[in-house]
Amino acid sequence: MTEIVQQLVDGLGRGGEYALIALGVGLIFGVMRMVNFAHGELITVSAYASYGLALTGATWWILVPGIVVTAILTSVLVEFVAFRWVRSATDFAMLLTSFGVHFVVQAAFVMFVSASSRHFARPAWITSTVTIGGIRFEAIDLGIIAATALSLAFTVWVLQHTVYGMAIRAAAEDFDTARLLGVRSDQVIRMAFALAGLLAGIAAVFFLMRTGRAAPSAGLIPMLKGVLAALIGGLGRLQGAVIGGLLLGLVEILLVSRLPDSVDGMVNGIVFVLVAVLFIFRPTGILAAGSSQRP
Amino acid sequence: MLNKRLLAIVLSLCLIAAACGNDDDGTAAVTAPAPTAASTSSSTEDAPQQAEPDDGEPEPGEAEPDEAEPDEAEPGEAGPAPASSASLDVDAVLAADLSACGPAPTGEALKIGYAADFSELGGFVDIPGSSAAAYFAELVNCVGGIDGRPLELVVRDIEGDPETAGRVAQELLDDGVTAILGPAFFDVNQAILQVTAGHTPLISVSSTEPLLADPAQLSLLASFTDTAQAKAAAQFAVDQGWQTAATFSVPGPYFGYVVEVFTEEYEALGGEVLGDYPFVPAETTDFSAQVNEIAALDPQPDVIYSALLAFQAAILGGQLDEAGIDAEMLVADAFTATGGYFIDGVEGFFHTSHTFPAPDGRMVRFLNSYEQAKGTALESDSYAALAADAILVIAQAVIDTGSLDPVTVGEAMIAGTGVDGLTGVLAYNGGGTPNTPVYVHQVVDGGPSLAAVYEVFE
Repeated sequence: MTEIVQQLVDGLGRGGEYALIALGVGLIFGVMRMVNFAHGELITVSAYASYGLALTGATWWILVPGIVVTAILTSVLVEFVAFRWVRSATDFAMLLTSFGVHFVVQAAFVMFVSASSRHFARPAWITSTVTIGGIRFEAIDLGIIAATALSLAFTVWVLQHTVYGMAIRAAAEDFDTARLLGVRSDQVIRMAFALAGLLAGIAAVFFLMRTGRAAPSAGLIPMLKGVLAALIGGLGRLQGAVIGGLLLGLVEILLVSRLPDSVDGMVNGIVFVLVAVLFIFRPTGILAAGSSQRP
Repeated sequence: MLNKRLLAIVLSLCLIAAACGNDDDGTAAVTAPAPTAASTSSSTEDAPQQAEPDDGEPEPGEAEPDEAEPDEAEPGEAGPAPASSASLDVDAVLAADLSACGPAPTGEALKIGYAADFSELGGFVDIPGSSAAAYFAELVNCVGGIDGRPLELVVRDIEGDPETAGRVAQELLDDGVTAILGPAFFDVNQAILQVTAGHTPLISVSSTEPLLADPAQLSLLASFTDTAQAKAAAQFAVDQGWQTAATFSVPGPYFGYVVEVFTEEYEALGGEVLGDYPFVPAETTDFSAQVNEIAALDPQPDVIYSALLAFQAAILGGQLDEAGIDAEMLVADAFTATGGYFIDGVEGFFHTSHTFPAPDGRMVRFLNSYEQAKGTALESDSYAALAADAILVIAQAVIDTGSLDPVTVGEAMIAGTGVDGLTGVLAYNGGGTPNTPVYVHQVVDGGPSLAAVYEVFE
């Protein structure tokens, strides 16, 4: 029993990280109907910003806000430079644009920094644990779970109780009508990207605390996991993104723990098979979003 | 709906591509050869060179030398005389002053191609490797070239793509190269071999994949193989008295193969592998599930062996410590390749490596020379030295045969019995691997400390 509870705790920690990224992916999808494959680049850019700050001797008290601010600014910049020009284009064109941003950022770091990864010190407490009732809780997992809950609550509050949030929801519902009613599209989309950047920044903080590593592809895997989590939960549904992330983390941990040695290298493959099976029964994810429910 | 299906497909392809990209050869279907061809020379009566792991910054020479083996000298120092009567004086090359070179060589140029991977996948090897190779060529030309022939290095980017690698190989052949320096990963080297078709030698600068060492195709490695480093690691673990081990692997070459060989060798030597745990290279950043399983083992492992990337090893080490698991960490050469000495939380870790950076050794002299000349340091020490060694192997074959014919040179490379290089003496003896020693380092005070040296002949 303890073993299973331990695995659930570990799974929630891992899933929380995915959920934070999925929240940002879901938010952008809600506004632009685009799966933003460049979302991971917010982590990549933040990672290099952390490395740069660490070189100056900055501590994590500086790195944390530095990472979040970098992610927000990068997100807004990416929208301004790349996505605003294809707002009216097809979904496929926007998808390709997001891939383009991903490759350009990656290549830029390879060319102008290095293909080799750069490292910076992780917080000393990063692997600290507290044991309660035989269950070990990693400090970082507790932080991730708390951050995920707070991020979800904050995002929902922003969307439901602020003017910008209402504008985002209106734009998500019907962009053209919202504009006719006076919603300023540029501002709304910029706000959505800033919010997505904030969420990516929070995810990046935990990811970088754990890895202490900046690499041209640092954001690739987190982005893929985040997109997958958003798809599982139901694209465009924020609660779905969180559920998808937590579920993905739990399934991964359980597979790693439970699979026999002979097939334990197939965790990712099995995850995708399970996701495929899920889509057979729930083609739009666990929390299917009706048109009036987004984001 | 269609859009979501499209996304699911794209996402699946991306994740699969990302996972494949982390494999050493990117081809999970490749079957590694049985490691029976190799035999370690580190048996009881034929003991490996070995120093105390925690004795600070030892002189490599203080290790007990293996009497039967050719590396009695310090790593990177002159070894036994090569078979050929004439050879390039490596020390003279390394001492060359580019601002005061002798007369330029005037003979027919020796053209060497470098099919370099500058992509994010292989750039960590070939960006510093190609810079080192180009600089080494400058030094060689500065001291009169190779038997009066200027050395011309033609570097082309394969972009991490097998199709491009094949095209680049053809371009290099069209340029008239005598030999090609190959990139790190198996699949791109295979694409090059399909073009060279055994008519032009290919020597991979950094690959440790045993399948690439194929004399029939004139395909060689500049470094030891995964078989050798895994066997050396197993021997080292047993020599330390570590009786139980746990391993981390992922099926396939390198990340899986080294663990496979380690397990076989370690258990043959009397050790017991208690369990093997999965991870995904460059992806897994949380080992809590695996650590919890290890914590439940009885007995506990004395050592954890894997080919984890350095940052992953650091994370795993921290989580093991926190779970109260007192096991040593022993990692393959991916540790240094991925910046092991720039990471916190790896103090005391052991890892296999291609050479030891002795302060007065050739590798360090080469790196210092480069930094002085170029004003910037090379990012990799081992790969820089291996690139220079690959050139030396080709150069020696040209000196031995007096020919620039690719087949003649390739056959001479394979027949080479001792090229005095930066990482040691490269002796192919008719095979495709150089039989250079495997060094085991320990991270002490954030730097490498030589723990042992093993000869593993294949």
